[in-house]
Amino acid sequence: MDGSEKHNGNEGKRLLPTRNQHREFHVSGRMVTMSQQQGHASGETSAPQRDGKLLGFPVTKNGRTPEKPHGLLKAPEILSLEELARRSIDGLDYHTLMDQLTDRGPDARLLLAYRDGKLVRQEIFEDPRICKDMQRGAVIHNLEQKPVDVSGWRVHDFYIDSKGCLGEICSRCIRVCPENAIHLRGDGAGSFAEIDPKACKGCFICWVECTRKSADCILIDGKVFHSELRAQHFGE
Amino acid sequence: MRLLLSGNAAAAWGFRLSRVQTYPYYPITPSTNCSEQVATWVGNGELDAVVINVESEHSAASAVISSAKSVRAGTATSSKGLLYMVEVLENASGGSIPFTIFVGNRATGAPINIWGDHSDAYAVRDSGYIQLFATDAQEALDGIIQAYRIGEDLSVRQPVMVNLRGFTGTHTYEGVAVPSAAEVDSFLPAFLPLEPLLDPDRPVTYGAMLSAPYYRRHKRNQSAALMNALAVAEKVGRQFGEQFGRTYRNIEWVGDQQAELVVALMGETARTAETVVSQLRGLHGIPGLAVLKIRLFNPFPAKDVAEALFKAGCKAVVVLDEGMSHGDVFPPLALRIACALQTHAGNAAPRVASVIGGLGGSEIRPEHFQTLFNLAANISEGRPYRREPYWLDIEEDPILLTDQSKVDPKLWKRYGDIWKAQPILSQYHTPLSGSNFELRLYGRAGQGAITSAVFFTGAGVENGLRVLTKPTFGSERRGAVVHTDTLLHTGGEHSSRSFSGRQDLVCIYDDTILTSPAHAPAQNLKPNGTLVVNTNQYSPARVRQLLGLTDSSISVYVIPANQIAGELRLGSYFNMVMLGAMHRVCPHLDFDAAMTFYEKNVPKPKEANLEAIRRGYQRVTQQETAPVPAPPPDKMADAYFDWRPEEETLEEEILRSMEVIRG
Repeated sequence: MDGSEKHNGNEGKRLLPTRNQHREFHVSGRMVTMSQQQGHASGETSAPQRDGKLLGFPVTKNGRTPEKPHGLLKAPEILSLEELARRSIDGLDYHTLMDQLTDRGPDARLLLAYRDGKLVRQEIFEDPRICKDMQRGAVIHNLEQKPVDVSGWRVHDFYIDSKGCLGEICSRCIRVCPENAIHLRGDGAGSFAEIDPKACKGCFICWVECTRKSADCILIDGKVFHSELRAQHFGE
Repeated sequence: MRLLLSGNAAAAWGFRLSRVQTYPYYPITPSTNCSEQVATWVGNGELDAVVINVESEHSAASAVISSAKSVRAGTATSSKGLLYMVEVLENASGGSIPFTIFVGNRATGAPINIWGDHSDAYAVRDSGYIQLFATDAQEALDGIIQAYRIGEDLSVRQPVMVNLRGFTGTHTYEGVAVPSAAEVDSFLPAFLPLEPLLDPDRPVTYGAMLSAPYYRRHKRNQSAALMNALAVAEKVGRQFGEQFGRTYRNIEWVGDQQAELVVALMGETARTAETVVSQLRGLHGIPGLAVLKIRLFNPFPAKDVAEALFKAGCKAVVVLDEGMSHGDVFPPLALRIACALQTHAGNAAPRVASVIGGLGGSEIRPEHFQTLFNLAANISEGRPYRREPYWLDIEEDPILLTDQSKVDPKLWKRYGDIWKAQPILSQYHTPLSGSNFELRLYGRAGQGAITSAVFFTGAGVENGLRVLTKPTFGSERRGAVVHTDTLLHTGGEHSSRSFSGRQDLVCIYDDTILTSPAHAPAQNLKPNGTLVVNTNQYSPARVRQLLGLTDSSISVYVIPANQIAGELRLGSYFNMVMLGAMHRVCPHLDFDAAMTFYEKNVPKPKEANLEAIRRGYQRVTQQETAPVPAPPPDKMADAYFDWRPEEETLEEEILRSMEVIRG
């Protein structure tokens, strides 16, 4: 920050480093005061060009997400013999590694850890898992795995009638579903929302939030919205 | 680098050398000093880590688990603190999150008790943690470094607990070899998160809800990974030995290769058992003896234990547990050993008896092991024995019968026949040659008795002696009588950590303790022992008279330490004077050699303290001393003590209050 040495005429005040483009923060003792950033006389005239995708996150000068400081928290790569064969990774002694992997049997894995683009650790180990469909520590890889069968709680069938659904124009149920169990199918005007019965826990939130109640969009056990069911469920 | 460290400080060094990156903690006796030491290093910049002062152990465990998803983390706790962590502990073992907890083992009330036993570690034995038990400060340091290696092994990835008995382990000062940071770095690779929590390219969810089919499949994986720790711990212990010269095994066998009688136990007490075995071995009428020390308690090396006992031709194994499992067949260690033997040795299994001892800081002394080996001998000869745990040191329920009149009649009905059939075999009770020099300092809290004992130990360690100091704790309020025990090994290959309870040298820091009926400070002096008293009002003859000392082989020395400290303007800090006096009467540590240690280490004012040590050394005497003349009457003090508010007139009161205001 270029203003770090400026004191704004106030002795003993310390400027906090910040990514905020239009405000600056000064600390004196236990008090923090806020003022307009230099060069931003008023917030209105130079409203930031916020990208909708970054709403709520810090906006940098070039409008892009901040660079990651380092690869400290980067997950290592874990490869089986087959996966290693499919890849071509520079700087690896393929001959030895593949021999070693074959010697250790089908559960042998090669770990490759990178930091700042450099290989820092390379180790062959035996995967201790018996049930290979489960990640270690029952961790879920959010981008690769879909929610699995967690619907043991559900006592009703939830079904979205595609005739009444507004699809991507509305998509309210998709956004409010706490289990990420509702997905959009199709494009544009023909799109509609669909409930994955394996992931749905039957919480009724989509049913309550649906903007098309009058069009009987969401069916519960094949029944349309009616006050009796609502009273039964919410105790009204 | 050899340093004088307490068990807690050694554990802190373990964390420091392992380059722990996050250390959240909540203090609890007796493991507080470990965390304080780590926090001090982080504060002064010697250790690059984040210390989080959390509001409870529950939060400490939560913070250590969440940080260990991405960086190397550790914490320390004890007793109820560990029990308070229980709710979140399994999130780490289930989530395959490796880190290390140092546990200063302590009893779990009620009744409240701050001293050492294994109750807390036993309480969490089923939470999926790898548990190592350390014997002394050195093993705690080495154990923590190995713990990170074991827990972070790619085929394991499970959290580890390193256990050291509270106070007798965590507060005992002894010489510890501290490896250099470079050596440890080459042994312990940098932390590598397998599933980092905050990698934006690969977001992960920890602790998602899973239904039964997935849950059981995950638990199968978790159990497989934990059991891998058996082989990994053995390998890591061996590699540690190759690099640092101290090899560790999952189980350690001390004694005869062919041993009919075995005592199995864990932790700090093992050293005492080893000395007993080394002294009883080969005596007439005694078969092969051994101590089986379990270092890796969880996962339990069942096959190794069964094999070791089977190969040694063991006929009876007595298991000593320093903790309980209320209502179970046996306490945890005995249960695991009995089960391992039944599973892996079947009909060839030796008989197993269980003994509960050491609860809430109870001492386990060499004579206890003599009784245990006697019990094992009786069992191996086919005599009847109890299928329930025996108890150490309960007069109404002894292991071997000495006095029937003391035995509880209910128990006599149940076990009378067993007691009658179990003889006391005299060969097991041969007096042990207690060749160690034992030293006890009595002082009032605040007088620095513990400091001088620690200085003495430091000088001994620096000069190659095997010395350790164990302060007593519990009543540390200022002015209470405290004592500290120092053990100086003067021979024998096995270093005992157990005090015989009989001293060669007793130093009394305050002559009011002489007349304290609750302490009787000289009653356990050995013949030919020595007594040193800080007094300027009693002569040695008078001290003898006050203590009722009839044994003329005991020599009594006096020293006016307060007076000497006053001459040197040290105020009431006379512990260095007493340290000098101790050197005069202790034959095992050369005074000049010790002085070079003190010159480097005494606190400020340095010169005065060194001179205090020298004067203490010179002026301690067995001679009859001339009583110091009574001090002149102090008018101010007399007026102060004579003053009674009810006798004061209003006028006097006003005057007095104005005096106070004027200062």
